[in-house]
Amino acid sequence: MARVEDQVPALGRLPSRVEGLDEILRGGFLVGGVYIVQGSPGAGKTVLANEICFRHAAAGGRAGYVTLLAEMHTRLLQHLRPMAFFDESVIPDSLYYVSAFHTLEGDGLKGLLDVLRREIKGQRADLLVVDGLVAAQESAPNDREFKKFIHELQAHASASACTVLLLTSGTLREVSAEHTMVDGVLELDDQLFEFRNERSLLVRKFRGSGYLRGRHAFRITDQGVRFFPRVEAVFASASAPDVISNAQIALGIEGIDRMLMGGLPAATTTGLIGASGTGKTTIGLHYLSASSRAEPGLMFGFFETPERLCLKARHQGLEVSAAVDRGDVELLWQPQRENVLDELAHRLVSAVRRRKVKRLFIDGLGGFMESATSPQRVSRFFSCLTNELRSLGATTVFTMEVPEIVGPVVRVPASGVSAILENLVFLRFVERDSSLHRLISVHKVRDSGHDFALREFFITDRGVHVGDVFAGVEGVSTGIAREPASAAAASRSAKPGV
Amino acid sequence: MQTILVVDDELGAIEVVATALEDEGYRVLSAANGRHGLEKLAEGPVDLAIIDFMMPLLDGTAMARAMKENTAFREIPIIMMSAVAEPLVRERFADYAVFLRKPFRIAALLDAVRKVVGSARS
Repeated sequence: MARVEDQVPALGRLPSRVEGLDEILRGGFLVGGVYIVQGSPGAGKTVLANEICFRHAAAGGRAGYVTLLAEMHTRLLQHLRPMAFFDESVIPDSLYYVSAFHTLEGDGLKGLLDVLRREIKGQRADLLVVDGLVAAQESAPNDREFKKFIHELQAHASASACTVLLLTSGTLREVSAEHTMVDGVLELDDQLFEFRNERSLLVRKFRGSGYLRGRHAFRITDQGVRFFPRVEAVFASASAPDVISNAQIALGIEGIDRMLMGGLPAATTTGLIGASGTGKTTIGLHYLSASSRAEPGLMFGFFETPERLCLKARHQGLEVSAAVDRGDVELLWQPQRENVLDELAHRLVSAVRRRKVKRLFIDGLGGFMESATSPQRVSRFFSCLTNELRSLGATTVFTMEVPEIVGPVVRVPASGVSAILENLVFLRFVERDSSLHRLISVHKVRDSGHDFALREFFITDRGVHVGDVFAGVEGVSTGIAREPASAAAASRSAKPGV
Repeated sequence: MQTILVVDDELGAIEVVATALEDEGYRVLSAANGRHGLEKLAEGPVDLAIIDFMMPLLDGTAMARAMKENTAFREIPIIMMSAVAEPLVRERFADYAVFLRKPFRIAALLDAVRKVVGSARS
């Protein structure tokens, strides 16, 4: 028997063209689907929906924006005008604003459905936004009638290949009749964490497609809405396979490279741990100054501006400025403000990808941690982020600051993170004879031996130099070095008696 | 007494315009879209139509063109109003007396109305 050809077309996608959102939705909305976008007032529903409409219109699509009892169009357009995506020239040919509240008042849900259907047809819209769904819901005599309305709207949307977004205020805890009917539910939230707010998206439902689960942070600026897919979701698997290699990347300081038996294993992550002033950034600048066209370098820092870093490097005889001018090094500074953790990660990964960075210096871990509104994420976040950096071939050096400048206890700043780092280098101050000495020790190197000695190092105007083993003293790990008891006794007996 | 028809899909817009005109002594009729607007015109004499540009079912320029094609309504002057710039409206329809860009002040509305039809008792 001849096989009947399957004539059911595959579902196409209507991309939102909003940065980060299509990655979360694995390509965008499904054509002809009906989606609820819900969130409390101020969560960002209207800005998001309008940006989707404007970008759709700019890409040659046609959109209708229907308001019920929502913001007046005049005010709405005034509020949107400063946004980068706003383009009045697409109105009304490609983007059309109407109110259907009168119709809803006079003719109920049936009248509203008629208006929506006619607007889809009359405007040849392939995207329709209905803002203020709660007004329609309140007009429904009961849940069943409202479900019927949604069902009929879905039928028209599907038949017309028009994707519909229904905007409504609501909270996580409310599950309404319409939630069971629609093809997807996107929930926007704006949460207060002590003193700072962070916006997030949760995709609660998305029929017919996978999506990135969990919360994803976003921002609204005058550039529009920008989503930052959660690192643990988007980098759950690294984007490239792990390439095993015996190659090494020199840190650029002869003595430390000797302690590392040649350098850092390529495409690994190193923690450079030490108190403030021990020289972490200086060592990082050495690492960067060894960058080249073949090994592009990137500094991702929180604490010092590029200008200050170049000055610091110059004071140590390192020509980081010249490397920047040649394009071998990029200095990306993130001011210490209310950063979004995932935004930082995406900015970092994007920069690494863009320049195929091989020498990556991150100063420091604390900048990321201060951005985390949920500290319990930190360990998994760094695990996924370092996996991705590794897969991109970057050899990463992170600085991690410990609070104690001297002392017997060295507290690694982030619980669980040191286990993720393949190589650990400690810097410390030790007091001896009323002066502070800088010491360096290597605690761990992936799949390699290393020098176990504690060595003194010096920061001069010709850079960092590693000296001899800090021998002849004990108690170094306490932060206060002293001569061994036997040596002290011998010294006293050699002095003339009183 | 002059009768003015206000046609706008937005409840708030009709409310503001209608009450401002009624305060000045005009008689005001309203409709939520172009189709209803034409139905209202058929019900009785109207001295001026103030029409919003973007409306469902039948938009403002389509209603205005329908008026010009109907001998009964052809002479009724039109004030077009819109939140978008005038050139975008003019591309579709240009035979109006005055264009009002939203948001407009009440004083600007009343000036435009007086300019077209005079005072309420004219």
